[in-house]
Amino acid sequence: MQIIGPDSLVFGVDDVPACHEFLTAYGLAPQDYSPEKGGHFVSLDGTGLEIRRRDDPSLPPALKTGNMLRMQVLGVVDQAALDAVAAELGKDRQVLRLADGSLRTQDDQGFELSFRVTTRRQLDLPAEKVNAPGDLGRKPNQLGVWQDMPTDPRTLSHVVLFVPDIEPAVAFYRDRLGFRITDTFIGTGPFLRPQANPDHHTHFFIRTPPYMQGCEHLAFHMGGPTELMLAGSKMIKAGFESFWGPGRHKFGSNWFWYFKSPLGCNVEFDADMDTHDDDWIPRETPMGAEAAQAFLFQHRDKWAPSGGPKPGQ
Amino acid sequence: MTVLCRLDDLPDGGARGFEVPGLDCKVIVVRKGERVHGWRDFCPHYKGGTPMAWKRDAYLNGARTHIACHAHGAWFDIETGACVQGPCLGRRLIRVPLTIDAAGAVCMRPREERT
Repeated sequence: MQIIGPDSLVFGVDDVPACHEFLTAYGLAPQDYSPEKGGHFVSLDGTGLEIRRRDDPSLPPALKTGNMLRMQVLGVVDQAALDAVAAELGKDRQVLRLADGSLRTQDDQGFELSFRVTTRRQLDLPAEKVNAPGDLGRKPNQLGVWQDMPTDPRTLSHVVLFVPDIEPAVAFYRDRLGFRITDTFIGTGPFLRPQANPDHHTHFFIRTPPYMQGCEHLAFHMGGPTELMLAGSKMIKAGFESFWGPGRHKFGSNWFWYFKSPLGCNVEFDADMDTHDDDWIPRETPMGAEAAQAFLFQHRDKWAPSGGPKPGQ
Repeated sequence: MTVLCRLDDLPDGGARGFEVPGLDCKVIVVRKGERVHGWRDFCPHYKGGTPMAWKRDAYLNGARTHIACHAHGAWFDIETGACVQGPCLGRRLIRVPLTIDAAGAVCMRPREERT
């Protein structure tokens, strides 16, 4: 199955203007937005979020838990890939073909799914470059950081789901949709990578009771750790509240910084995730603070050793 | 008694968070008419608790009917602190007893200040 990953995540929220405030500060660009109807919030390659009012009749049904995620829109490489998804899932469930060419169905947990030929644009942007003795990534006179450098999220990276019945959920994505398991937190759940995407994960599942089913967090890729740090620092300065980070995960190696949001889930910046192919041998480890990150920091106000409060204040 | 604010400083139906010396989490004050409800900014979803606002003082859901944790979407009853939806269903917030003095100041009762 030549699935790339989420093109869009659709939410039905109870405060559309709050989501606009949060997501534009996060760096996504609003499209076709109004406070009454909501709209799209897109990253540089066109992937993003669709934010609607909770009672918008155009939305798929809400999860019983109150979680605001209403649908995942998964992009595939071409029409043949879309037809392959339709043929496979049509074996045991209703798969609707909509007028816009997309498919609509549900996974085994009742999460709404849409599949379409991806609309994401190919990005032609340099990654953050690092200079090190023996390997200079930047040309002479090319700066590594400046205060107002762009920090726009580049692409929708991954979605993490609270999943009540995790074994069938994993089986559906692995066996029916062809996702590869890259690594697993024992007792929690696996990281999953679709075949047409080398990223360590586009999905991660967390085993939970039924009353928690929904989206735990979502993340967009940044151009590098400096962009991530700067983007998060701007969020803090503007009064938004960090949940976790900045730090660097072990599984996936991605830098992370999570913020609480009016979408009812955390919204993460990530950067510099590992990529894999089918030669990768999945790892397993129990979930815990040691396994979850290589290191973790907490934001503090700017300071210089020339006066002002002491470190830690 | 620690004075947090004046009742008039709080919008009716709105919430604010206050840093209190000696407490390791903020105190959320929600005003409903002439009454105030105090809760620790401490979502019981995870051991150790997490603060709940998505930005400064943004503690309520969109309809302002519940205190919401904006990490994972838990909703709490403003008057009882009970979680009614989301990850900590069956658990509740820790109450911070408040009084409003004759001059209209919102105060924490001394019992809470010792903790």
